[in-house]
Amino acid sequence: MAAHRKRYALIIDSRKCINCKSCVVACRAENRVPLGYSRNWIGEEHRGEWPKLLAAFEPEQCHHCESPACVRVCPTGASYQRPDGIVAINESDCVGCRYCMIACPYDARFFREDKGVVEKCNLCAQRLDRGELPACVETCPSKVRVFGDLNDPNGPLRELLSKRLYRTKKAEAGTGPQIYYLL
Amino acid sequence: MNRRRFLTWAAGGAVGATVAASVPRLKPFSKKDAPTASREEISTTCEMCVNKCSLIAVVENGVIHKLNPNPASPRSRGMLCARGNAGIQQVYDPSRLKRPLIRAGARGEGKWRPATWDEAWDFAAQKLSSVKEKYGPQGTLWSSTESFQEVFFKNLGSALGSPNIVRHPTLCLASVNLAYSVTFGTVPSFDLINSKYIIMSGANRLESLITPDTMDLIDSTLERKARLVYLDPRFTVTASKADEWYPIRPGTDLAFILALLNVIVSENRYHKEFVATYTTGFEKLAEHVKPYTPEWAERETEIPAKDIARIAREFSDAAPRAVYYAGRRSSWYRDDFQTRRAQAILNAIVGNWDRQGGMVPNAKIALGEYVFFPWDDPVAPRVDEMDKNFPLAAKGDGAYLKLRENVLAGTPYPVKAWMIHKQDPLNALPDQAKTIRMIEQMDFIAVIDVQMSDSAWYADVVFPESTYLERQDPVEVLSGISPVVVYRQPVIKPLHDTKPTLEIVQGLAKRLNLTQYFDYTIDQWVAEQVKELPLESPLEYLKKHGIYVPEGFPKYGSTLNAEHRFVTKSGKIELFSERLQEAGHEPLPAYHAPPQPPAGQFRLILGRKAYFTHANSTNNPWLNEFAPENNLWLHPSTADRLRVGNQDRVEVSSTVGTVRMKALVTEEIRPDCVFMLHGYGKRSRWQRLVADVGASDARLLETAWDKISGNAALHETFVKVRKA
Repeated sequence: MAAHRKRYALIIDSRKCINCKSCVVACRAENRVPLGYSRNWIGEEHRGEWPKLLAAFEPEQCHHCESPACVRVCPTGASYQRPDGIVAINESDCVGCRYCMIACPYDARFFREDKGVVEKCNLCAQRLDRGELPACVETCPSKVRVFGDLNDPNGPLRELLSKRLYRTKKAEAGTGPQIYYLL
Repeated sequence: MNRRRFLTWAAGGAVGATVAASVPRLKPFSKKDAPTASREEISTTCEMCVNKCSLIAVVENGVIHKLNPNPASPRSRGMLCARGNAGIQQVYDPSRLKRPLIRAGARGEGKWRPATWDEAWDFAAQKLSSVKEKYGPQGTLWSSTESFQEVFFKNLGSALGSPNIVRHPTLCLASVNLAYSVTFGTVPSFDLINSKYIIMSGANRLESLITPDTMDLIDSTLERKARLVYLDPRFTVTASKADEWYPIRPGTDLAFILALLNVIVSENRYHKEFVATYTTGFEKLAEHVKPYTPEWAERETEIPAKDIARIAREFSDAAPRAVYYAGRRSSWYRDDFQTRRAQAILNAIVGNWDRQGGMVPNAKIALGEYVFFPWDDPVAPRVDEMDKNFPLAAKGDGAYLKLRENVLAGTPYPVKAWMIHKQDPLNALPDQAKTIRMIEQMDFIAVIDVQMSDSAWYADVVFPESTYLERQDPVEVLSGISPVVVYRQPVIKPLHDTKPTLEIVQGLAKRLNLTQYFDYTIDQWVAEQVKELPLESPLEYLKKHGIYVPEGFPKYGSTLNAEHRFVTKSGKIELFSERLQEAGHEPLPAYHAPPQPPAGQFRLILGRKAYFTHANSTNNPWLNEFAPENNLWLHPSTADRLRVGNQDRVEVSSTVGTVRMKALVTEEIRPDCVFMLHGYGKRSRWQRLVADVGASDARLLETAWDKISGNAALHETFVKVRKA
């Protein structure tokens, strides 16, 4: 038995992202996300004037917040937080009201017209159960994402966060996002 | 309900009607996935591009659910790219080739009649036989692109007696291969992961993925602080990650390299001991590069002289952990060979040969060979007259563009049947109108492919190949710094009435009375290949792991002893090449300023996105969503002058064709260039996502080739642009 409660999180080193979309396609396959929807995506920023140019790419998905607004507003309890920190949706309890989509500061949720429910990243909980990494983490050519247990003192997350500067996004929303972007 | 989910249900025995009846927005009867009756993980090898990455297919109830990277591969380094992940869609594509088809209307009209295999084989064999009878076996042309079963296709052409087998390299990297072969006697790999200083031009390695180079480049530059100096007329993803990016004037890379050589030689920064021991012709090189000063190069390249001099110094300081990376899978200009050779020479004189972080000769693994009945050598010479036109080039690969010229001219003899294996000449060759003329003068065309490519669309008979996830292939060795053996095995049974290439070839061989050359099964072939591998049961091992990784690599320095003989005329690394001189070429790379676009015209430049391979993956729905249409990149100053706004329609024309497409106004391209992605504006209606969507670069590109290697030069076309 683990000596501590797990707290799953992601560290993302966006500098290493080459916008190749591997994570997007891997997620689509793993989680059977139909075309037209996506649980993850890559934000792009292009700036400057020729020839002083800059381009940046940043993977995005659910931030599995510490205090998730989506869970707070869900009228049926379909959105919930697991003890390991993963914010998940119990599809059979979702009535498709979409309050959670409005509450989410990261626009990480979408409404599946075909199923009548809201869907989003669950950190590939089904893969974690088999001892595998989330599909987006595993498939990445440049290993942009690091997945692990924040509460594991010897895990990769604690070590990286102790050595590197990082930021979280929209911290002002007060939801305690758990994706750490390295600076 | 998505398609694959439906298949899962159907395969699991659920009633299809129940699924179809679930009403959107109402709670379906069950939202849980179908109960998993079986879940298998099968190790195999990707074929979505030419990298041959190792993957593990997850198959649930007979349906491929997910393709995961295989962490055991030192080549793919535990990754599977977007294309690899989207391989599932190639299998379940509703518009893939499902049965043999015989043309029922005019060529290119798209009218097909389904045929049995016997009908298709009989038809093709009869046509091939009649061409052979009338024009001799040399009247048949066999073209193919690298794939594991290509060998069987080529062998059928050879067994029939045709000298005319033309492969992809002259549309690809023949100039690079020949330049390094002439210099070192072999084509090395670049140990990017251990490099400290990397100069890259003619290769957008972070968008045109090569394993392990792409991952190693990220690792070395962003984790290990190697310096990346990158030259490109476009601000690519690679440019965005580079420490220094120079939007070089297109076609002038050779001037930049010659100036680096000038600084390194004149400042005595070369590796004297290495040069003395392993190379020949240094004095001639030193004399040759004297006029090529950084100040001179600045005028040609638009790269500041002080930066050129500094880069030369930094590069030589970092050597041997410094490389000028050989662009791969691309050739751009008529002097491409000489540009690549100058890179090779630069690498040689700083002594980065066979050193960690430098260039490393490829290690290989020996496989057994299935011995079969030998055929006679062809009687006729090649139609592209390689001996006369490109005496130094790899003869067996042919020279595609010169070949097309000769076939069109009917010299030295007529070629009237065209067999095409998994290649799309209509998109792969510049000047599509010319390729169509070549098609028109053929008596017979057959295509083997998994999808209805544009070239298949113009064929007389189409043989559907089983996809890479449905068939067993010969074993392949990927030579390199860390060589591996990879294996491809079926992860599901073929979904449709398709066959692997060997069986397609055997059906033809039987009807052409060539059975004796193909009297084996794929199992027998593979068994012979693997039997010498140092493993207890090699085939079982490969079936389980999908890859064999021998120990002891990477290994550096095995060629670094004074007795080592390089496979060159002198046995040394040839800075000065007598072979080139004898063949009538410049023995040291000399600069000839390339033509620049006349006023009002632009150089058309090409490139890739990481999620597309050649022209064949733009129709994959999981990839197409990232770029549903290609646009013409225009610099804002150009767009202003042409009064073209972002997403306005423009007409683009060269001397060989005109296309219409939307403009993308962007700062990320030189004002004297325009750019478009490859693989759009397809003719085949079965390429439903990209048929007549955007435009095909092949319609604009003019015929030009590197005169030494015969490699197509793809950046030699100037176009006019106006608002449509």
